[in-house]
Amino acid sequence: MSQAGTITSPAAEAGKMEKKPARVINGPHVRTEKTTRRVMLHVSISLMPALLGAVYFFGIRALYLTALSVAVCVLTEYLWQKLTKKQITAGDFSAVVTGILLAFNMPVTAPAWVVVLTAVFSILVVKQMFGGIGNNFANPALMGRLLAMVVWPGAVMQYIAPVTLNADAVSSATVLGAVKTGGEAGYSYLQMFLGEIPGALGETSKLLLLVGFAYMCYMGIVNAEAAVTYIVTVLVLTFIFGPAGLFTGDILLNLFGGGLIMGACYMLTDYAFVTRRGRLLYAVTAGIITAAIRIFSIYPEGICFGILTANCLAGGLSLLQKRHVYGTRVGGNDRKRKIRN
Amino acid sequence: MQKGRKSVFPGGVHPTDGSDKVLSMDAAVQQYWPDTVTILSEQSFGGKCRLLVKAGDTVEEGQLIGEPEAFMAAPLHASVSGRVLDVTEVMNQGRKILACIVQREKEHREPEGVYRTAAADIRGISREEILAGIRDGGLTGMGGAGFPTHKKYETDKKIDTLLINGAECEPFLTCDYRLMLEEGHALVNGVRLLLKGSGAERAYICLEDNKPQAAENLSSILKEARESGVMESSEQVEVKVLPTKYPQGGERQLIQAVTGREVPMGGLPADVGVIVSNVGTARAAADMILGGLPLIRRIVTVTGSVKNPGNYLVPVGTSAKELLELAGGVTVSSNRVIAGGPMTGPCVASDWNGEEELFYITKNTSGILVLPDSAYEEQPCIRCGGCENACPAGLAPWKIDFAFQEEDYDLCEKLYASECIACGCCSYICPAKRELTVRTRMARDAVKQRMRERAVKKA
Repeated sequence: MSQAGTITSPAAEAGKMEKKPARVINGPHVRTEKTTRRVMLHVSISLMPALLGAVYFFGIRALYLTALSVAVCVLTEYLWQKLTKKQITAGDFSAVVTGILLAFNMPVTAPAWVVVLTAVFSILVVKQMFGGIGNNFANPALMGRLLAMVVWPGAVMQYIAPVTLNADAVSSATVLGAVKTGGEAGYSYLQMFLGEIPGALGETSKLLLLVGFAYMCYMGIVNAEAAVTYIVTVLVLTFIFGPAGLFTGDILLNLFGGGLIMGACYMLTDYAFVTRRGRLLYAVTAGIITAAIRIFSIYPEGICFGILTANCLAGGLSLLQKRHVYGTRVGGNDRKRKIRN
Repeated sequence: MQKGRKSVFPGGVHPTDGSDKVLSMDAAVQQYWPDTVTILSEQSFGGKCRLLVKAGDTVEEGQLIGEPEAFMAAPLHASVSGRVLDVTEVMNQGRKILACIVQREKEHREPEGVYRTAAADIRGISREEILAGIRDGGLTGMGGAGFPTHKKYETDKKIDTLLINGAECEPFLTCDYRLMLEEGHALVNGVRLLLKGSGAERAYICLEDNKPQAAENLSSILKEARESGVMESSEQVEVKVLPTKYPQGGERQLIQAVTGREVPMGGLPADVGVIVSNVGTARAAADMILGGLPLIRRIVTVTGSVKNPGNYLVPVGTSAKELLELAGGVTVSSNRVIAGGPMTGPCVASDWNGEEELFYITKNTSGILVLPDSAYEEQPCIRCGGCENACPAGLAPWKIDFAFQEEDYDLCEKLYASECIACGCCSYICPAKRELTVRTRMARDAVKQRMRERAVKKA
């Protein structure tokens, strides 16, 4: 505690005041230790287990791609803010988080130039051009992934089996992809849970992602409600509308097979929802879209679309959450305002 | 009160771990009577009094020296016996205020009566006498804005509950705690008087659960009073322990927590049948009505980065500088001096070197706090919703902040900016260190001004 802020008031600037205060110190004079930087740092730290997992399963190139993505994101943000003479916030670790998540959405085979271009796109177009941190309408990392999927599908949809399986480095479908096209999963649920499956860098090891998420919950920087609601919505819907008719969905496959846990834990979080009702509404919306894509479309995952669509609907959805303002409940006199002099 | 309902208000924050109060918690109240006092003619913001004395006059302790001139004012009394040195304008918290400077020539005379050590018999005192005492004693709120107490009690609304506010939810402050611990008898007698004066059915002495000793002390004093037979069974006074959460002691939040009622927009607590008074005010009521001493002194906590943090019973008009010297002086040179608690108290000086005058104790000065100075940059809002969750009034400070910066006062009004209580929770919790409280408060004032102008136009 014991930190406090300083802004200069117009009155003091005008020199109207008698005494010297050139700066007016605003209360409250105690402030929480939590800062944007610290929150983002904790998110970055919570992603480290999954990064180590990616290196273990896919080799050192995983680390190389992640570092590249982070470096490009931070540098892009810094240069943009420098050139446009904006407040420099590139050091607040939010670009680091975007960089890590972006790399986590790429397969280990993704070419470096694709990573660089999507990183620049995420930061420059999705984040900064909409006003920087807090003002972006959608998750920059997911928008980056969407761009790559659409523009360079060949480069980013090529998954290979983990090196720990001693398999040949030939491209193979993801578990969900294989099942979608009528094939066998080919991996046990335990392998899926631990991360020994083909897939994007960060999404494979559910265990390590959950370790990181637990850390964030422990540090009090996320609320697990939305993540759990999202997962449950997707699982219930995919179970009910299973591939072989009603109630034939494979819950564990849907939970551990793809990027559901990474999406729920790291991508979904949109802070625009303050009330529990709003948060749940948002998570359910994202879940319904994700499940619909898994069930009806040619895409096996649907995480990216589900969350991005919910991102875009957030503004409208947030209007549905009601907050009670103190003093407005009193017997029918809701809007009647009496002004006391 | 509804049974089984949790005594809470929504939102709020936990600004500290309690280590701040420890600084001055165990320091017994010391009396201090300075050689000169500077009694401000405006004891609370907008509470202007017309001074009745001039330089050279001799005044007695408790003598009326100021008559109320404004709605927010209460009668003003000389806090020491002596000679008026001057009636002049002094600088106080950045404003020039007319003040009466009195040189003390006699020792303080403690009011007589056993009310400070035992339950008093108040059966012979009528409600009218109590109300007159409250008015003539110059009683005001002693925890917050310093609202004149008689204005609260002389209401034609039906009052059923009296809340005595001992929550002291501001970090660092311990003056109310020491009062509840050391002056329990006077306090309880004062509460009984206020209960009778308000016409309410019952009174709750409300405090937070971080002050168990004070709660125990008051409970045992109440028990003793009931057993003594002086306190009648119709005098329903109870100690109410509430969870520790800021701003528990905010008038509106306290009402919500204890009774479940909400003061309507633009209304007063009396509109929902409640009066809230500070523990200091209750004690002052006992001093006036049972001891004949008007409100001329109060307990002030001097704490933070000072050598010997403590609690001092001082006359109104004592210089803050003198009190800081009494506490051994400041211990950090890069500091800020705050009048009151750290959440709502204004900063009166930064990098104070111990030489210049700061401000003068008024009836509602609860503390002088010195904190190490620190500064940081405002960062962009990250839409974390922290302020919205913390706001006890149920507002969205970040939205009001944006609307205010865009000068969109219509939107500010729609967002209920007028209901801001300026508690400071939003700025406290903001990870981007945005100055939400300051700007939301400015938005509130702008919106209220507009509403007033509209009301005038209509009339």
